[in-house]
Amino acid sequence: MKSKRIAIYGLLVALAFLLSYIESIIPLPIPIPGIKLGLANLVVVTGLYTMGGKEAFILSIIRIVLVGFTFGNLSTMMFSLAGGFLSWFLMVLLYRTKVLSITGVSIIGGISHNIGQILVAVWVVSNVMLLYYLPFLLVSGAVTGTVIGMLGAVIVKRIRKYDF
Amino acid sequence: MIKKNDVILLGTILLLAAAAIIFINIRKTDGSRVVITIDGEEYKTLDLNKDTTLTIEVAEGAYNTVTVKNGEVDMTEANCPDKLCVKHRKIHYNGETIVCLPHKVVLQIVGGEESEADMIAK
Amino acid sequence: MLLIIIAVNLSGCVKIETKRYEASFLDLFDTITTIVGYAEDKEEFTDHAQMIHDKLMEYHELYDIYNSYDGINNIKTINDNAGVSPVKVDQRIIDLLKFSREAYQLTDGKVNEAFGAVLSVWHQYRTEGLDNPDKAEVPPMEILKEKEKHTDMNNVIINENESTVFLADPDMRLDVGAIAKGYAAERVCEYAMEHGFANGMLSVGGNVRTIGRKLDGGKEVSWSVGIQNPDLESAQTNLYILGLSDYSLVTSGVYERYYTVNGKQYHHIIDPDTLMPAEYFLSVSIVCRDSGMADALSTAVFNMPFEEGLKLIESLENTEALWVFKDETMKSSSGFENYIKK
Repeated sequence: MKSKRIAIYGLLVALAFLLSYIESIIPLPIPIPGIKLGLANLVVVTGLYTMGGKEAFILSIIRIVLVGFTFGNLSTMMFSLAGGFLSWFLMVLLYRTKVLSITGVSIIGGISHNIGQILVAVWVVSNVMLLYYLPFLLVSGAVTGTVIGMLGAVIVKRIRKYDF
Repeated sequence: MIKKNDVILLGTILLLAAAAIIFINIRKTDGSRVVITIDGEEYKTLDLNKDTTLTIEVAEGAYNTVTVKNGEVDMTEANCPDKLCVKHRKIHYNGETIVCLPHKVVLQIVGGEESEADMIAK
Repeated sequence: MLLIIIAVNLSGCVKIETKRYEASFLDLFDTITTIVGYAEDKEEFTDHAQMIHDKLMEYHELYDIYNSYDGINNIKTINDNAGVSPVKVDQRIIDLLKFSREAYQLTDGKVNEAFGAVLSVWHQYRTEGLDNPDKAEVPPMEILKEKEKHTDMNNVIINENESTVFLADPDMRLDVGAIAKGYAAERVCEYAMEHGFANGMLSVGGNVRTIGRKLDGGKEVSWSVGIQNPDLESAQTNLYILGLSDYSLVTSGVYERYYTVNGKQYHHIIDPDTLMPAEYFLSVSIVCRDSGMADALSTAVFNMPFEEGLKLIESLENTEALWVFKDETMKSSSGFENYIKK
């Protein structure tokens, strides 16, 4: 059981790196300081459905810190942490209620990821005008969330098949 | 893999976002313009949401350059004697003005964000 | 009429639907004049604005020292007849000169209507310096000292019975730039109030006189008047925002009019004692009821060391001041805080 968990952690952290790299080469149409697509949310969604809330949280922190040091800096890490926390919290909440499937949970995760980041951005830049970007971020969060949710469902199914 | 609730959720979010975008755009076109007047005659109105640079030939050999960027208006160049208009900071609040007295050019914001002060003593 | 723009702000009122309007003019006192007021419609406001404009224009012509106008004896006429003959003038010129004399006594000579000879030298050098920045010069002290001999207030002979003013010294010149705008604004506001202009605001080149209150969404609140940050490029436009009702706020600052010689800025407020631009502050703002007094005091206090100015301000009732020093630190008189709007 333990070794399976370690294997999944390793697998998902590696996936997070890959996705973060892909994300770093896709330019966003609207340049907002510290805002990213949040593709790596896929690993948190997967972690949540294969292992549980606590594990997803640990995964989220590991991913943000490691990826932050590799592709970003302390300030971008702050944005990611804000987005990561909010997104993890809401996803766990909705995961428990079972109202939504993995796709719905992932959509919520994607959106809250963006909301968290923009709130920090508003605070850092101290300019409320940034909130004008919110609707665009809602759309992008919903779209990435949907894609991630569907991918996540596939990955979760495959991981569950290997019952070490 | 996908529940009905997911679709409802996605639809709601997209609708909300669309409504917000429409709302913002309506508000934007409604307000936030800069009216340029020369010697009391209205010369041109620029939209604050469209970045642009406009050089106005006020009279022969007299010019002022107005720049609209990121929702703010600035007099970036002028060949008036005192250059006070060029030194003036950028403006964007409703009713704010930049005045080039020697050339009788006035830039005034119409329909922008409300400033805290009704008037400024200077 | 030079009506530049009329901006409308919806502002619901308790009794009648009145809207807030604003009009600006560029043809008065070589500066921008702005009128804010309420009216039921544009026509009604335009009438009020036109009335105020026309009244200000009368004062502008009377107090002008550079231009002559047909059929009007103004201050330039008095200057042109220095040492020649007394000039018959409108009572409003005599009133201004008498007011200026009060200000002279109150401020120990720091505002002087008879200081025109010195000021015209600075005006000439500044104008030439702005036209030709490479050749800008500071007026030689010998010339300024020579002109200073012709600034004795006692040589301004006012004959109230005959309504005449005579400059006994042929080289003397009147310059009322330090008080004319504020004084005219005060008189015109009183006139406008008598003619049904109950709530509004008049700014003559940044000399702000408030009338009544602001009708803000059915509530009556005091007008918010900002004090210009001397750093014009700063994103913070105002140092403070004061809540004023029937009060005036006037600021004198180094940033208003100046020219540059060898990288050093020389502004237009000349200290009567040193004959040079006063170097104590970046700006001085005065709050008091009378806009003419606020104008005179802002110039006078700008020309005084802080302690002297503070003593003067504290001795006057309902009068407060804010000093901005060259390092951008600020000091204010004891009651200034009461006017700051939260």
